[in-house]
Amino acid sequence: MYLVEDLYKRHGERLGLEVVAGKKGMQRRIKTPEAHRPGLSLSGYLKGHAGKRILIFGRVEIEYLRDLDPETRISRLEAILGPSTQTPAVILARRYRPPKELIGLCEKYNIPLMRTNMTTMNLLNKLTLLLTEKFSPSMNCHGTLVEVFGVGVLIQGDSSVGKSEAALGLIERGHRLITDDIVKVRKREGGHLEGFGAELTRHHMEIRGIGIINVAHLYGAVCVRDHKSIDIVVKLEAWDDHNFYDRVGVDEKSCDILGVKLPYHLLPVKPGRDVVLLLETIALNHRLKRMGYNSAKEFNSKLLEMIASKQKKGMASSESSP
Amino acid sequence: MKVVRKVKVKNALGLHTRPATHIVQLLQRCKSDVRFIYKQDSINAKSILSILTLAAKKGTLLTVAVEGEDAEEVMRKLSLAFETGFGE
Repeated sequence: MYLVEDLYKRHGERLGLEVVAGKKGMQRRIKTPEAHRPGLSLSGYLKGHAGKRILIFGRVEIEYLRDLDPETRISRLEAILGPSTQTPAVILARRYRPPKELIGLCEKYNIPLMRTNMTTMNLLNKLTLLLTEKFSPSMNCHGTLVEVFGVGVLIQGDSSVGKSEAALGLIERGHRLITDDIVKVRKREGGHLEGFGAELTRHHMEIRGIGIINVAHLYGAVCVRDHKSIDIVVKLEAWDDHNFYDRVGVDEKSCDILGVKLPYHLLPVKPGRDVVLLLETIALNHRLKRMGYNSAKEFNSKLLEMIASKQKKGMASSESSP
Repeated sequence: MKVVRKVKVKNALGLHTRPATHIVQLLQRCKSDVRFIYKQDSINAKSILSILTLAAKKGTLLTVAVEGEDAEEVMRKLSLAFETGFGE
């Protein structure tokens, strides 16, 4: 549930919002991530008018209202603010002074009326961005999110497989912890995922035999981050002799989180395998791939070339032999 | 097998570290997947930090979902633990 109050408290300063009227309506719910300029609706054409959007009044709207006679002004405003609609809030751009009919109606129906210094276009852009972000699909998943060489690595696996220990090892080597145990994932614009931690347990870890530790205090602020894009998923698993683990790496596996495909690695753990080093290698290899170099594929094509040249030689020699 | 039940936090201080430890200890050996659902959050009850993020106070109603072969037994033990206020 997202209230006008939440928007005002969290982003009011950034958007330069100032409440002019309708303070009682701060508890109104914002139901859609949309902001709308009611230009046409003000002219009385209400077919298809969606009454759940935040209304933005810019120069056109204000000038138009000024041109109307007071009675029409009230009836037109009533049509988009009245009880038949669920307008969460009205925002005036360019610090326009609201017509008194607008103030009156906002007070009457308890709709927060705010104004800001920003230009209409700028306000519309910023507000849409903020709202889509807030309304973007999100989920919680179990795992540990670390940043390794700038790559966001989500470590998953059953409990007590060693996720936290691996993360601690990475932190000790100068990589960063975003969150341990609970990763909140949000799908951002452009189809990438962002992970962050819960407010309370952010920067904390639970290590068996030690207890709950605060990583930011122990290793310093340089070792933590608040949020990070998730670039790859690594699943740790107790070594299973019957399972065939990837030996070449030409076929890239992927997994699906919130409809986004992420590269996926299954990493078997057993005594003697340095998981920290392996995770670093996976992250580096991922960076290399993004820079356009795929070690496994490069190696494979080299191999194929060699085989092909041998075949040619073989054919040449077999042709010349008789 | 899946068992879902609502339980109430009964001890005075809510789900703080000690009760959370108690729950994790209780669930350590069980094979089922145990989740606590509160508001929009669904968390893994085998992880102490996850339980703590709920910051559930006295009187909070949690939905407990247990899925796995020993679900019935786990649910029975868990309900008892909540009922007795984790011995506090």
